[in-house]
Amino acid sequence: MSEFLSGVATCWDIYGTSYLWGAYRTLVISFVGTVIGCVIGFIVGIIQTIPVAKNDSVFKKAVLKVIRVILRVYVEVFRGTPMIVQAVFIYFGMRMVFDISMSMWVAAFFIVSINTGAYMAETVRGGILSIDSGQTEGAKAIGMTHVQTMLHVILPQAFRNIIPQIGNNFIINIKDTSVLSVISITDLFFVHKSVVGALYLYFQSASIVMAIYLTMTLTASFLLRRLERKLDGDDSFDLATTDTLTHTSGLTNYHVPTKREV
Amino acid sequence: MSEPILTVNHLVKTFGKNEVLKDIDFSVRPGDVTSIIGSSGSGKSTLLRCINLLETPTSGQILYHGDDITKKGFSVSGYRAKVGMVFQSFNLFNNMTALDNCVIGQKKVLRRGQSEAKEKALFYLDKVGMAPYINAKPKQLSGGQKQRVAIARALAMEPEILLFDEPTSALDPQMVGDVLEVMSALAKEGLTMLIVTHEMAFARDVSSEIVFMKDGVIWEQGAPEQIMERPEREETKDFLARFTNR
Repeated sequence: MSEFLSGVATCWDIYGTSYLWGAYRTLVISFVGTVIGCVIGFIVGIIQTIPVAKNDSVFKKAVLKVIRVILRVYVEVFRGTPMIVQAVFIYFGMRMVFDISMSMWVAAFFIVSINTGAYMAETVRGGILSIDSGQTEGAKAIGMTHVQTMLHVILPQAFRNIIPQIGNNFIINIKDTSVLSVISITDLFFVHKSVVGALYLYFQSASIVMAIYLTMTLTASFLLRRLERKLDGDDSFDLATTDTLTHTSGLTNYHVPTKREV
Repeated sequence: MSEPILTVNHLVKTFGKNEVLKDIDFSVRPGDVTSIIGSSGSGKSTLLRCINLLETPTSGQILYHGDDITKKGFSVSGYRAKVGMVFQSFNLFNNMTALDNCVIGQKKVLRRGQSEAKEKALFYLDKVGMAPYINAKPKQLSGGQKQRVAIARALAMEPEILLFDEPTSALDPQMVGDVLEVMSALAKEGLTMLIVTHEMAFARDVSSEIVFMKDGVIWEQGAPEQIMERPEREETKDFLARFTNR
């Protein structure tokens, strides 16, 4: 036991800052990847749910159809292949085919975003479909257009409903960015591999990395819960009085005699 | 007699092979309070939904001041703003307070400014007795309260005609009274209304005209006393008998 603890201490003493830098990169990549992925997901999800009426023009129908097929292919390809393979495929493909050498950050953001986007597209689509059709009818009935309905009625509700799924994706990304070490992105897992290469303290270093990953994911899920509760708002509401002469609370002046007065 | 606001000519609506509306003809004039009665599945709600274009008619015409609403190029959004609708399931926007529910349409569709929209919203919410609840979200309100907010939302658009699709069917008996009271007051003020309802006593009291539908066909229409007391068709008698014998 003491051997294990001293090993952990050794790892931390020599490479403490490296671990923290690795954790920082992991967090930045997952966060930015999740945010951009959500944007992609929303765009794709919204396009997939545009209603087509029978009397729409042939042109609109055709354009929409083509875009939808392309988006469908995107979703299926990136959802259906492992991120580690996508990373290698894109990173080396860019080099060989287009002669573009991506920097570590660009490559990391690109791969994580496009992967998250594929998952989020289906999540957003589900979120939009989950909103009761009565909401759309209510909006239509007062003359709101599809765009207005989406913007003010459907998306705010859909967004609230898919926050747990966004959180899920963020946490998955924190863990899964570890596969990016395959293209030498120096995230937390890459640091671990380097440390192990230098010190041969496999279990000790792994314990440190486990603890850091768990700290990050637990903090993330805690913060997301807070955000959810904030978006839900108060359980109570204020009664509004239209009569200015009456007050709902706090202004009753009832004199309670103190002991001395009695 | 004044020009009709809405005229329905030979309206047909089919869902697949199921013909829900068969050759419907009728019209609504300013100030009319028309109640459509009939058993479930008779096509009453579908007729209302066709008028609001929530369903596209299969054939026939619906004329709004003489303009065919199903024609290409007809401004559906502007038309819907003029023809309000109150639903059986309220359909309030769950992400907004009662006040915002009544403000959003005025701002986005009628392009009214915030202060004007708010003023009108407060006026109509007060009218339906919901002024104290302007800050409440729909989930915090009871069914009857929700329906009254929904009526205020429709009124805030200042429509020419208001369609009611079984507005009290989802409410318990006590709340039904609150909502019907609001509707009676509106009828007395001269608002043009087209009401699908199962509340026979209410239909008889507030309507200027009653339409009886069965199997997608209008069998009989006329003044409330005539339809309720001296119905001519056997179908109308059967239907009414089931209500009075309870």
